[in-house]
Amino acid sequence: MTADTRVLSTAQHVGSRALDWLDAGRRNGFGRLPDNTVVDLADPNDAYKPLGELALAASLVLRDGVAGPGDTRTARGLLDFAWDQVRAGDLLYERQLRHLTTTDPLETYAHFARADYRHAAMEELLDSLGRLRAVHAVEAEPNRRLAVANARRIVGLADRPDWAALAAATWLGATPEPWAVDWMTAYRITHTVFHLTDWGARPDGLPEPVHAYVRDWLPVWLDVWLEIGQWDLAAELLAVDACIGEPATGRQGWEALATAQHADGLLPRDSEPVDADPAHAFRDHQHTAVVGVVAATITLSRALGGTPVAT
Amino acid sequence: MPFAGTPLRDEYAAAVERMARRTLDALQGAGGTASLTEPDELLASLPTDPDGSVPGPVLAAARVLGPDLFAPQLFNSSSPLNPLNPLNPFRESTRVPLDGSAARLLAEARRVFPPPAADSWDGSPTGPPPPADDANLVIAWQDWAASALLAHTPYGGQAAPPPAAVPRPGPRPGSPPGPHDWQAWSVRMAQLSVLALPGLDGPVHELARAHTLDLARGTARSMLRRDLRTAARLARWLAWARADGRPLRLEVWPVLERIRLTGDGSARTLLELAIADRLLNGPPEPGRARTPR
Repeated sequence: MTADTRVLSTAQHVGSRALDWLDAGRRNGFGRLPDNTVVDLADPNDAYKPLGELALAASLVLRDGVAGPGDTRTARGLLDFAWDQVRAGDLLYERQLRHLTTTDPLETYAHFARADYRHAAMEELLDSLGRLRAVHAVEAEPNRRLAVANARRIVGLADRPDWAALAAATWLGATPEPWAVDWMTAYRITHTVFHLTDWGARPDGLPEPVHAYVRDWLPVWLDVWLEIGQWDLAAELLAVDACIGEPATGRQGWEALATAQHADGLLPRDSEPVDADPAHAFRDHQHTAVVGVVAATITLSRALGGTPVAT
Repeated sequence: MPFAGTPLRDEYAAAVERMARRTLDALQGAGGTASLTEPDELLASLPTDPDGSVPGPVLAAARVLGPDLFAPQLFNSSSPLNPLNPLNPFRESTRVPLDGSAARLLAEARRVFPPPAADSWDGSPTGPPPPADDANLVIAWQDWAASALLAHTPYGGQAAPPPAAVPRPGPRPGSPPGPHDWQAWSVRMAQLSVLALPGLDGPVHELARAHTLDLARGTARSMLRRDLRTAARLARWLAWARADGRPLRLEVWPVLERIRLTGDGSARTLLELAIADRLLNGPPEPGRARTPR
């Protein structure tokens, strides 16, 4: 793969600083679950979705092995922290036990399992649930079905999903008019690519018409969302570019993110003012930091030859 | 006649809009309205000053629309002179006979509003042009197109030689490598949409043939940025490339349809759409929607 070394150096710098910012937040006590968290989490998005995203970023740093020793140590520390927060998997297990068709425990667990943080009872439970017709009958958006299929693949469960059919049912699978994309659809697109390629580990995971379609239009989508300062979505699009093999965009995206990044490493989600309260700022912008780490990690990993994954 | 207090710019813009409407009507064969295929009908349909001369705003409008004034003649399928008509005996000829009031009007407009002095950048490849020269280059190519079509009429002299340079995609000298520059290039090509007419061909057309993906990206970008006139002009280039036999990565008709339904509704934009439609689909058939499906 041809690599623009300036892009790689910018990506590495942005990602490393975002990782440090996440770690500084953790050390300041941000991102912890409330002490009274019980299994019936009213709003998993608030309670532990961010922890799962933290685990995603840290586990990819460890999986791809392209970070320096300092960033690797930081990623390990963040995973330990997040694993401790979910009580070494017990919290995910108990939630999955009670809500058999809920997918967030599985999806969160997959990020830990990727880095070999395992919970035997959880895996036995997931394996069992996979044999229920009810679990597969849940009505979900096609890109969400891909999220579940990829999570089960990462955990190593025995299912053999029909990837082609799952891909064909998504927005991307239809290769629609590229100018009809809106902000929410763009996020669905990025996640379809993440799950089909297992976050860049399988660049061939996109079926060919979709692969060509993404290469054709990704530069357009990146351009328009950079223009209006949607840094979070732009970072997701840069991650997509790294997931599909030879990059389709140039320096524009990474240089814009580097310019938008604050001195302390905070990567703002958009061009709105950042809340002066550090706790609020952490809550508002932690997702963008995670995306920045993910995008930088996959960008470096693909440029350096990629990470083979067991099939 | 201008209303008291009407700013000159508004008056000129209104004149452009009126002339675009007449050209559009002629192109679409709207029954009974001015047909540019009939000599002098356009002039007869326009206001004149008391001394019989064509008012300044009308000439300015002709200057703005330039080559598009010939669109009705170039696309008129019943005319054996239509270069797209397979029955046209001149099809393989570079000479497209044109005549009538459009030519007279355009020639007069070019006399009253001459092209910018040729002392601007000559496209010399020895150094990077300053950005302003990109704009001069656009004007130079628009002029070339007007003169190339006029040269087929009794009102034009020798066709002007094409400008020495073309707006090029790709990085500017000194800028980083990478697929960055389709954005600026596609905007330039949109400004050159009057070149996307049958009967015209040259280095700019060669670029359009070679960079249909960049044109398509520019179209999608303009749609997403709600810059629908730029989108219409780029869709016209895509339609031209399609008529030239190039495969496209973007379906053009949904773009035309979307702009028709949500655009500014101006005659200038509708004229771009109508020309794109004719390039894609040929003359309208009875019962067919105006925008292709």
